Amino acid sequence: MKKILIGLGLCAAVGVFLLTSSGCGKRQEDLNTITVWHWMTDRNKALEELASKYEQQTGIKIKIDLFAPSESYTQKVVSSAQSKVLPDIYGILDKKEVFAAFIKSGFIADITADFKANNNEWENQFFPKALDVNRFTEGNVYGVKAGIYGVPLDVTTIEMLYNVKLLKKAGIKAPPQNFSEFLEAIHALKRVGVSGLVSGWGELWMIDSFASNYAFNIMGEEKVMATYRGEVPYTDPDWIKVLDVFKQLVDNGALIEGVVTKPNKYAEQDFALERAAFAFNGSWCVNVYNDMNPNLEYGVMLPPLANSNLPMKIWGGAGSSFVVNNTSPRKDKAIAFLKWLSAKDQQAYLAKATKNLPANREALAEIPEVLSAFASSMDQVTHPTVWSLNENPVVSEAFLKGIQSILIGEKTPQQIAQNVQQVKQEQLAKKKK
Amino acid sequence: MEGPRYKAIGALKSTVIHAFLISVTLTCLFPLFWMVRCSLMTNQTVFTDKTFIPKDLHFSNYVQAWVDGGFGIYFLNSVVYTVSVVVGIVLIASLAAYAFSRLKFWGKNFFFGMFLAAMMIPLPGSFVPLVVLMNKLGLANHRIGYILCMINVGLSMSILLLKTFFDRTPQDLEDAARIDGCGRLGIWWHVALPLARPAIAVIVIFNSLSVWNEYILATLLLNDKTLMPLQRGIMVFQGVHSVDYPILMAGLTIAATPIILIYLAMQRHIIKGLVEGATVQ
Repeated sequence: MKKILIGLGLCAAVGVFLLTSSGCGKRQEDLNTITVWHWMTDRNKALEELASKYEQQTGIKIKIDLFAPSESYTQKVVSSAQSKVLPDIYGILDKKEVFAAFIKSGFIADITADFKANNNEWENQFFPKALDVNRFTEGNVYGVKAGIYGVPLDVTTIEMLYNVKLLKKAGIKAPPQNFSEFLEAIHALKRVGVSGLVSGWGELWMIDSFASNYAFNIMGEEKVMATYRGEVPYTDPDWIKVLDVFKQLVDNGALIEGVVTKPNKYAEQDFALERAAFAFNGSWCVNVYNDMNPNLEYGVMLPPLANSNLPMKIWGGAGSSFVVNNTSPRKDKAIAFLKWLSAKDQQAYLAKATKNLPANREALAEIPEVLSAFASSMDQVTHPTVWSLNENPVVSEAFLKGIQSILIGEKTPQQIAQNVQQVKQEQLAKKKK
Repeated sequence: MEGPRYKAIGALKSTVIHAFLISVTLTCLFPLFWMVRCSLMTNQTVFTDKTFIPKDLHFSNYVQAWVDGGFGIYFLNSVVYTVSVVVGIVLIASLAAYAFSRLKFWGKNFFFGMFLAAMMIPLPGSFVPLVVLMNKLGLANHRIGYILCMINVGLSMSILLLKTFFDRTPQDLEDAARIDGCGRLGIWWHVALPLARPAIAVIVIFNSLSVWNEYILATLLLNDKTLMPLQRGIMVFQGVHSVDYPILMAGLTIAATPIILIYLAMQRHIIKGLVEGATVQ
């Protein structure tokens, strides 16, 4: 009897706890509380602090809800969209097609008018490349009405980094500007027993970024797009040159051992712990290196030019962006908060607190030196999401896996070029059917 | 002459078996040891210090993990979710399994087949429909909604395990109870459930483990931080690009401790339950 009473008591206690603390019953729609959903664990604290500052200034409460990792967050956004319970402000982490689908379904507000108000006052605060990710141009392939649909919070660039101490040890006075200087530097480093380049090339997108940098530098954007349209074959000498960049890296022993299977996290460890003199990595690495080795001395440089007649283009643009729920009754207040969040002071605070590049270029003067070095390359930034068209994924995969074959010495650039061209023709034929 | 030879073979056999078991044990324990080791280091030494046991031990990582991760409320939530879901599963699964095993009713095999079929649907495949359903029922972002979903997730396997167990239990004891005046529910409570203790132990440990470690469904169904389980606290230490390894490991150690304790408390029953419940007649 005693046991039963204890059991019943416990059940009653749990029941009361569940009913009283889970907010049973319908909640009142609070027009002065803006809900923000995000996935950025490393920025959560800073966002919460800014939210409380905003509440003090305006009386509008900002509820910051973190859902991580990004895969779970994406699932949450998709399932909430299907249930029509999206928050006032959120982010789309998926491809541009999904972004477009959300806009067409009425889940994302068109905020072009706010950006353009007062002679483009808000728009002019941002790096144009940061806004491009959230912009749909006239006649875009997604069929979305031209306009700006998101507010960038920060930007990223993917560049090369060099270890100041290791370069000095090898007697290298300045970071290499072109590819032959880079190979000379590699030989000098090898003489003092230092590995050359490390990158997370176990992740195909990292190889994609590096290869695309050299494709733009060797043949220019127009020829790359012409290849994607099927007008230039992958067996073209310029594409062989792009593939040959990887062959030369292998032949000159420029790469750290195991680079072809290395996830970027491990590549970051290698550079932070001074196991390699160069790294190919994104601007987020400032945070990572600071955590692993705060005394690391490093600089930022563009990938060394393979062709001095054309500029080097690097991947970059908006790192993370927020959109406003079009169906929210607090839409205007949500836009006002995003305007405040993307203003100079808040952006400078975010950059300092989270070591990410601010999307607002007016905030650049107040950010750490190494971040400024990344930001200085913003004019050379490009990204597949802003290109007029992208390569067929099957062809792209054949190209990137082909590069991995070159890296392990399995195939030559010519063999890969022929193989990729064959896949391209098959895909073009399929498309015609 | 043969005595020493057999002894030698026996000793050799025993050595090989023990060596194998010790290597398996070490393989299982080493990740736990590594987790605790890393939880006592700093983010810098975790990559550079190669010693087996670090020189400077930072126990403050546990305090930081508890405070920064907001473990207080998450821990309480996880305890409530785990207890409620496991109690719910044991009650519903044992009643259902007993009915499938002992009662004759229309569509019995069909319904049992449906429960088994539910096991074939991978959990992520049911996420979106579950969220839509919970929103329609007004149970999204409610503890009760999450508990009901988790009970649903654990039912199929538990029913299968218990039904197999009840099928193997002799009916004589129940007949004796019936003669003594017990009804169906009385027999279930006083005879069937006590006999099924080993199978229930397996159900308790498996479901406790799955509820304690569950996070994805919680992320989808719950919005308020105050409703989230313990795993949410751990996620805080995993940045988009960088990870605070020592604090993360301290958080993982805190999160793993209760489940290890449950396992140790119930280990006597687990093997027995698994063997008896897994044999289909």
